[in-house]
Amino acid sequence: MLLTLDILTTAAILFIVSIGLLAIFGVLKIINFAHGAWLTVGAYCAVVTAKLGLNPWAALPLAFAVGAALGGLAEHFIIRPLYRRPLDAILATWGLGIVVGQLVTLAFGRDVQLTPNLYAGTVEILGVDYSAYRLVAFGIALAIGTLFALIIERTRLGLSARAVIMNETLARSLGIDTGRVRLVVFMIGAGFAGLAGVLLTPLTSVDPNMGVSWLIGAFMLVMVADASYLALAAACLVFGAAQVLISTFVSPILGSIAIAVLAALVLRISPKGFSRA
Amino acid sequence: MLETLPVTERAAAAPGRRLSRAAPFVVAALAALALWIAPLFLDTFAVNVLTRSMIYAVLAVTVDLLWGFAGILTFGQAAFFGIGAYATAMILAAYGATPLGIAAAVAAALVAPALLGLAVGWLSFYHRSTPLYASVISLVVPIVVVQLIYSGGEWTGSSSGLVGFDVLPFEIEGYFRLAALFLIVVTLAAWILVRADAGRALVALRDNEARCAYLGLNPRRLQIRLTAALAGIAGLAGFLFANASGVVAPENAGFLFGTELVIWVALGGRGTLLGPVLGTIAIDYLAANLSGDLPFLWQLLLGTAFVAIIILLPGGLADLVGRLWRALPVGRREPAPPRLVARVAGTEATGTGIPILKVENLAKAYGALTVLEGIDLEIRAGELVSLVGPNGAGKTTLMRCLSDGTEPFKGAIAVGGTPITGLTPNRIVGLGVGRKFQVASVFESLSVADCLRLARAPHDGLNPVGQAETLGLPQAALDVLRMTGLDRLLTRPTRLLSHGQKQALELAMVVALEPRLILLDEPTAGLTKAERTTIGTVLKALTAGGRIAAVLVEHDLDFVREISSRIVVLHQGRLVLDGTVEDVVGSELVRTIYSGGAHG
Amino acid sequence: MAEAAAQAGRRIEPAGAALALEGVSSGYGAVSIVKGVSLSVGRGEIVALLGKNGMGKTTLLKTILGMVALRGGQITIGDQALAGLSPARLVALGVGYAPQEQPLFQDLSIRDNLRLAVPSDRMLPEALERLFGHFPFLKDRLAQRAGTLSGGEQKMLILGRALMLRPRLLLIDEISEGVQPSMVERLRGVLQAERDSGVSMLVVEQHVAFALALADRYAVLKLGEIVDSGAAKAPDAQARVIDHLAV
Repeated sequence: MLLTLDILTTAAILFIVSIGLLAIFGVLKIINFAHGAWLTVGAYCAVVTAKLGLNPWAALPLAFAVGAALGGLAEHFIIRPLYRRPLDAILATWGLGIVVGQLVTLAFGRDVQLTPNLYAGTVEILGVDYSAYRLVAFGIALAIGTLFALIIERTRLGLSARAVIMNETLARSLGIDTGRVRLVVFMIGAGFAGLAGVLLTPLTSVDPNMGVSWLIGAFMLVMVADASYLALAAACLVFGAAQVLISTFVSPILGSIAIAVLAALVLRISPKGFSRA
Repeated sequence: MLETLPVTERAAAAPGRRLSRAAPFVVAALAALALWIAPLFLDTFAVNVLTRSMIYAVLAVTVDLLWGFAGILTFGQAAFFGIGAYATAMILAAYGATPLGIAAAVAAALVAPALLGLAVGWLSFYHRSTPLYASVISLVVPIVVVQLIYSGGEWTGSSSGLVGFDVLPFEIEGYFRLAALFLIVVTLAAWILVRADAGRALVALRDNEARCAYLGLNPRRLQIRLTAALAGIAGLAGFLFANASGVVAPENAGFLFGTELVIWVALGGRGTLLGPVLGTIAIDYLAANLSGDLPFLWQLLLGTAFVAIIILLPGGLADLVGRLWRALPVGRREPAPPRLVARVAGTEATGTGIPILKVENLAKAYGALTVLEGIDLEIRAGELVSLVGPNGAGKTTLMRCLSDGTEPFKGAIAVGGTPITGLTPNRIVGLGVGRKFQVASVFESLSVADCLRLARAPHDGLNPVGQAETLGLPQAALDVLRMTGLDRLLTRPTRLLSHGQKQALELAMVVALEPRLILLDEPTAGLTKAERTTIGTVLKALTAGGRIAAVLVEHDLDFVREISSRIVVLHQGRLVLDGTVEDVVGSELVRTIYSGGAHG
Repeated sequence: MAEAAAQAGRRIEPAGAALALEGVSSGYGAVSIVKGVSLSVGRGEIVALLGKNGMGKTTLLKTILGMVALRGGQITIGDQALAGLSPARLVALGVGYAPQEQPLFQDLSIRDNLRLAVPSDRMLPEALERLFGHFPFLKDRLAQRAGTLSGGEQKMLILGRALMLRPRLLLIDEISEGVQPSMVERLRGVLQAERDSGVSMLVVEQHVAFALALADRYAVLKLGEIVDSGAAKAPDAQARVIDHLAV
């Protein structure tokens, strides 16, 4: 039972962390290696919220807004010149991540920051005591997934984004402003990354480099999911389960590389990953 | 024999060439001398830091060869470096710095990373693999290696690393000199490699992997070997690092260090070798001096510079220096072109009665859409067959099936009696099939002569240390060059050629392969009238000898009428007509097809 | 300034051309595809552009749409010179386009395909009404995936999508390709009805009989240049065109 809960909540957290990266990769075909920095920025929004004495949940809208605003700037000045050089875009966004990390360090210092817990305590569920926050996180992941699905499936922006993913030339010839679609999607992706940063604060220590440790896992999940959020959810479940099971029964260290190794193997066998299934 | 340079001019070029060939050795010797005496003038701190910087610069050279030349963006060199360093530390800790222990450490530091490099290469490169996938794997490798180090317990010292093992009996000056020599040797070897004919193959891989395969080179094997060899070099750098520093830590193998290497190479200037070497030394040395006082500001400046360089100056600082240098009014010598030599083509008899190409009941579908169905075709030496038909008839798909056996198709295709099902393009080239693409497929960063030399590589090999002074080509390829004037442009970079010249160059490259069967997809698209005539003449002359067959897809029916010995008409995926020019021209069926009446 | 331009325009083309190309050249990379094409389409006129594959017809349409860079010459629509106008701007100016290659989002519903073609969802109901006027069969099938339509039905959807925004100028790329004869007739009926209500069209075709029956004038494009043009209904038109196309 504990194992099942661990798997579900781990998958939920992976999904929260990866969804912003997926949105950007799907539409822009660009891998945003500054994703880790956006997670960090989001977490520091929680730090700021706490310092201002606000309700910890107020950090969520703040982080989304800050992430989206920074994302807009990044898209305009860094991503746009590099659409035709996708490998260089990985490097430039990585460099941006370094810059953001150092700015955070200059502003807040390099020490670990304490943030108030968003939702403390444990609850008893089916006979085991379990961290209430991890359960809340599971619910939030469902909510974020639903919100994302609604944006993609129901809004005009989501439709335009899908059109750009499927056939950008046709989208452009029909009069869709593909540049604007890219900008907005990048802002939303960065905003979601900011949200994820806040949601990570109860689970991990907050320091200027916290985002990097999440980046590779998110990156590999997105590679496997290609551009599909349903495939991402599936990948989070499968690889999250592998991580939990290997950590529990084999070794935590092997568990920590399970996602990267398994995803690499899946991609070797099927370059489109889970999205084909 | 065809000589392009007048005798006097060639005589004048020879000494200059000899001089320029000696120059790298002279520079390397001078650099070695300067670095040998440098420790006398530097303080201990500088000697220590620069020793490390020079070892890192060796890694930068390997990253540059992979990324700057072969186009493989890698974060994985750190892992190979770390394995070399750990292998050294573990062996020296166990056996001490005895001659045997040191020999074992060197061997392990070279072999272990190289073996892992082979495995990584095998995983990263396969038929239809993407550059992004290789980068993804190169990210995963250091992460895995670091976790293995963490889980190594006492063997690897886990997170605190290994310290206090025996090392080579050198003073710090000794390590400095050793590192300097190692760096100079590696850089010089890399320099010689990339300027040699064989080094051009790396750039060719980066520019156009498909063309490499369709020249019969095996891109996958080249990439895997390069990965393994450079993993070994990185491992040796790790050996030196472990000895010089006396400490190895998991960070030395980590992904972050891998990204730092890429940053140094990018700032120095990818694809220039010296840029990354000097960039790495300068940045690492500056970092050691500045990061004590301004740790965050330094990283901030470095990150900002990196982003700016990637966006604005992808060639790095070396590119900037290069531009300034070229702006100086210094006399510069054009590189001397190689001498063109006619090579007598092999004269093996082809009159064995086996058709060069035999297609039986070929069918191909993309999902539910049937593109080809029930195609039967036999082509014999000496034939020049034109494949015509309206848009969507399946002509290009047929060409693709003929040249790539990994395309999923039904039915049988045999070249000279050998079935090609499942064969990769480079192996089909080995059977004697040359393919010219619709959009001229050449190597944009290479010169005309280099492109032609790569086309001869399967026959003549490539010089691994120097540039051959002659370029031997079959007479037919020489004819293409002469008729199109390319024989006077041998040193010109391909990207500066006109569209027509590129098409002609690609044709010359395909002809240089000495194929038995040439496949040409719209060889005259976008060409002028004169250029079309030239290509037509070449094709007729080639097949007239009776040893070679050609199949071309063509829309210009005037052209088809002029040159073909036979015309095959495809319509909606089926072969509807196969006959002489007279049979097809004026055929009522063809008129109907082209007027659109046969639709649906 | 605008008045002078308008006057100049009237002098050149007294009827007031819906689309005028003067010495238009374009291409990709080092390749030039379209070489100095001059052509005009009058108001309420259909001009058929014929030629084999690879002769530059589609590239010419894409140049007009601003999707391939104009390298030389001038394109005017009405009185508006087109230099660097985005496709979005052209849609607003009343230009409709029925592309040939990958013309639909196969995995999206028919409704979503149509939504993507209107600038805002508010305009959709009215546009759909117009569409159903031409092709009523689409009415009950809006939720269906576009990829499940037959080839001929897809062509109707593509044409209907271009027509539903009341364009003044239509650019049509091989609408008859792969369509069975009865449906080709139906498409011709729709296009001629639109022409009679004042819409101008440039129709790229390989199907000679259909094109000449539909059009008022024709032009033949060969290797990026116009090699023949004339009245579509001239008695020798078909023979001349086929001579340019066939072996």
